[in-house]
Amino acid sequence: MVRTGRTLFGMAEPATSVDAALIRRWIRDAADEIAANRDYLTQLDAAIGDADHGINMDRGFSAVVSDLAAADALGPGELLSRAGSTLVNRVGGAAGPLFGSWLRDAGAAMGDGASVDAEDVLRALRAGLAAVQRLGAAVEGDKTIVDAFVPALAGFEKEVRNGGSLSAAATRAAEAAREGARATIPMEARKGRASYLGPRSVGHQDPGATSTALLFAVFARVAGRSG
Amino acid sequence: MSSVASSPERRGTIQSVERAARILKVLARGSSRLGVTEIADQLGLAKGTAYGLLRTLEAQGMVEQDPDTDKYRLGPAMLQLGNAFLDNHELRGRAVLWADSLASRVGETVRVGVLNGSTILIVHHVFRPDNSVQILEVGASIPWHACALGRAIVAYLSEVEIATLLADGPLVPLTGRTLVEPDALEAALIEVATRGVAVEHQEAIVGEAEIAAPVFDHRGRPVGAIGVVGPEERLHPDGASSSLVAAVKETGRGLSRDMGAGRLAARG
Repeated sequence: MVRTGRTLFGMAEPATSVDAALIRRWIRDAADEIAANRDYLTQLDAAIGDADHGINMDRGFSAVVSDLAAADALGPGELLSRAGSTLVNRVGGAAGPLFGSWLRDAGAAMGDGASVDAEDVLRALRAGLAAVQRLGAAVEGDKTIVDAFVPALAGFEKEVRNGGSLSAAATRAAEAAREGARATIPMEARKGRASYLGPRSVGHQDPGATSTALLFAVFARVAGRSG
Repeated sequence: MSSVASSPERRGTIQSVERAARILKVLARGSSRLGVTEIADQLGLAKGTAYGLLRTLEAQGMVEQDPDTDKYRLGPAMLQLGNAFLDNHELRGRAVLWADSLASRVGETVRVGVLNGSTILIVHHVFRPDNSVQILEVGASIPWHACALGRAIVAYLSEVEIATLLADGPLVPLTGRTLVEPDALEAALIEVATRGVAVEHQEAIVGEAEIAAPVFDHRGRPVGAIGVVGPEERLHPDGASSSLVAAVKETGRGLSRDMGAGRLAARG
């Protein structure tokens, strides 16, 4: 969904920076989106994993949302870090450590400012990807989160380098992540439980890459309207 | 897997049988359905040769041809062979009761594996008894160095065998924590042999841990391993759970006795 148009009648305008309010909206919307897709994500996982991905992600993001009230005075980076720690500590399976470390390291890379720009977000995304790869040792083509994350990061960076807005960069990242997730379908998994299946993992979309695309889509949506 | 297409000729083997076996292995890759030409190309055979082999395999039910596309896929006889392998597997046969009892006692997933080349082949898998959806891992292959089942077996092989496996590199990391350096792995194997149990913590799958014990036969050879695998917060909360380690070791010793291992061999 592309929402770059500005309107005259008080409708939301695209965000030019990321503040705590935007991160809070992202967390709430992401939790809603994950809850809505819980069964879908679990079905994807049932084909090649332990059928708990949707459940774990839902449980984790619900815990993050409940924790928001207690995280009142935090900046955007601190909020993300805190969300990441909640995921790491509260979610079982591989999803908790992987998505949790992503958010925790991304938040730390954003620093403790009250508002950060597209360059800061780019740095945060890089730190997030590095955390995921450090934990999982996955590279592109392994049929994991990385297959959605790497193209998303590349798309975001390209748009920023071309002078695009934060919102345009987020939209481009979301499109690339979605394509990346779809591209995992014909891959043979080389990491995670799916890799035990060898050739039988072919033909299924990776649940981790799908959740990654979902998180980027929600970010594009909240960055497309600042109010 | 890459050896499928270009197995070296071995003395005393029959070429056509080897070629037929390679065809089956190619068809076992992926959800692949292949035409005669594709199969011939992949194996470097003349099309006529590939066709003759396929017709022979088809007559035995080992491959079948899709009537719509004329492409070949594995046939129903392969399932019977696979099942016969599992049914005739002595370790698996004897492990079934031990695995069930361990799973219900500790409430975790139990797997039994054997070493097949440089990977662990899962020959038995008991689901975690919690009614959750799980996929059957029987037939799965896991690199020996990344799983506790593998280390439990390899630790009791001869020095020469261990050296060969360690030199069969580079060893692939499955997570950021997988030990792949031969020196580090060798140290880990020595620890396994000392403790009589192998522990792996987030080295095969992020967020999971595994505890496994070797199983010995009447000659004292490590013929396989049995172990539990599951969330690290339960199996490895702050080091490996000592009650799980004890349960796994006890199961490994009992199963070894069933396999005819003497008291000395059923060590650990």
